Amino acid sequence: MKESFSKAFQNLFKKPQTIDYPVTEIKKDKDYRGLIEYCEEECIYCLKCEKACPPGAILFVGVENPPKNEKNKKGLKYHYNPYLCIYCQECVRACPKPNEALWQSNKKPTIGVASDRVNDEWFELEAIKK
Amino acid sequence: MKKTIHIPLGSQHISLLEPVKFKFECENEKIIGVDSDVGFVHRGVERACTTKFKFDGVGYVVARVCGLCAITHSMTYTASIEKMLQTQIPLKAKYLRMLLLELDRIHSHMLCLSHVSENAGFEAIFMRIMGDRELIMEIQELITGNRVQFDFISIGGVNRDISSEHIKKVKEALKVVRSKVDGYIDEFTNNWSLSLKYKNIGVLSLDDAYRFNAIGPLARASGLKIDVRNEIDYLPYSEIGFEMQTSTGGDIHARNVVRLNEIVNSIQMCENILDALPEGEIQTKVKGKPDGEVLVRYEAPRGELAYYVKGGGKPMLDRVRIKTPTFASIPSFSHIFMGSQYADAPAILASFDPCLSCTAK
Repeated sequence: MKESFSKAFQNLFKKPQTIDYPVTEIKKDKDYRGLIEYCEEECIYCLKCEKACPPGAILFVGVENPPKNEKNKKGLKYHYNPYLCIYCQECVRACPKPNEALWQSNKKPTIGVASDRVNDEWFELEAIKK
Repeated sequence: MKKTIHIPLGSQHISLLEPVKFKFECENEKIIGVDSDVGFVHRGVERACTTKFKFDGVGYVVARVCGLCAITHSMTYTASIEKMLQTQIPLKAKYLRMLLLELDRIHSHMLCLSHVSENAGFEAIFMRIMGDRELIMEIQELITGNRVQFDFISIGGVNRDISSEHIKKVKEALKVVRSKVDGYIDEFTNNWSLSLKYKNIGVLSLDDAYRFNAIGPLARASGLKIDVRNEIDYLPYSEIGFEMQTSTGGDIHARNVVRLNEIVNSIQMCENILDALPEGEIQTKVKGKPDGEVLVRYEAPRGELAYYVKGGGKPMLDRVRIKTPTFASIPSFSHIFMGSQYADAPAILASFDPCLSCTAK
């Protein structure tokens, strides 16, 4: 009882446990799971990442001006939706060239607000894919 | 004729974090009848598991059933698929799974203890426990890369290895938490004003625990010796020093003590895991599609969690049934409220540690 009183009193003079965000930045570990990054030149277009992705946040869709890559025989283009991604790294584990064609960074996605309608373009791509 | 009044608690109430509704029939201050209602946050997870996602992605879907015991859900589902495909996972992966599962138990119990204190009117302890819980959250983030959704367990093993640098940091943090928890055990046991709110309030006797099929810390606080960790063979709990924690009172105080002792035991287990972490692979390749049906149980922080999975040799599963601990405990919850004072109801409810996102899924 006495101890809890003394602790409560001591706490009055302690620094707060919370950090002064956004003035102080949040500590970010280098292994933090963040956005998936992609290199167009290194990709071999095996589409394994697209199949492995649990929420379907990676789509390869045929376009008129596809990226110039000799492996890209079907004229596909890589599309990634950071708002759908759960950062589980399944795509990177499925990739035959991890850390060259596809890798996970520790970057955070930008905040998606409903009024920005961030997924509208994505739904069109999904419709094309079907 | 007896005159009674009906007082609802929930679905929106200041003492509740999640939507559950209890309708109390009160005679003056005493509760003489209880009616409960859950299911305000139904999300159709079970249906989504069989229609939208292939079996290898379902582990990530069921992890989203609950924010607190995400890893227990993904582990139980993964274990059921591994059992169906008859896969043997590496020992190191098993140890890493147990490490994360026990860390999850520690932070979940700490959250419960802080809310019991808050609902009994002790904001200072609530703040302190939540502050210390942050240490566990930080080491979980360090190991898995994310604070809440770990996505650490996948079919065939675990997704990430732990570095020696991280082991050192985890050990340091666990030492700090251990010293803090010792302080809480003293305070929860000896503090006079806390005992007024906890001792002999919300009692569940051993007979009633049997009768109402109580599980988890709720049952162990009444002296019922059930813990799924004692009965499973897919994780080597006997190797890392697991001890079942029981108490005899069956009241809020006994539940707190069981949870505190479980935290201490879990910290010891985590230290043992880190000391005796085996060398080797963390993943094995899994081939084939699940065919047949299987039921796998695991001890979630709140009690027994069971997954029934049925597959037909196709990528899509035929059925995923999730039996969550809180849903199974509702009969005992309702029984404990009978005869209590209405003013104690929020503290009693918090001492059950109900998880409604699990229940309604």
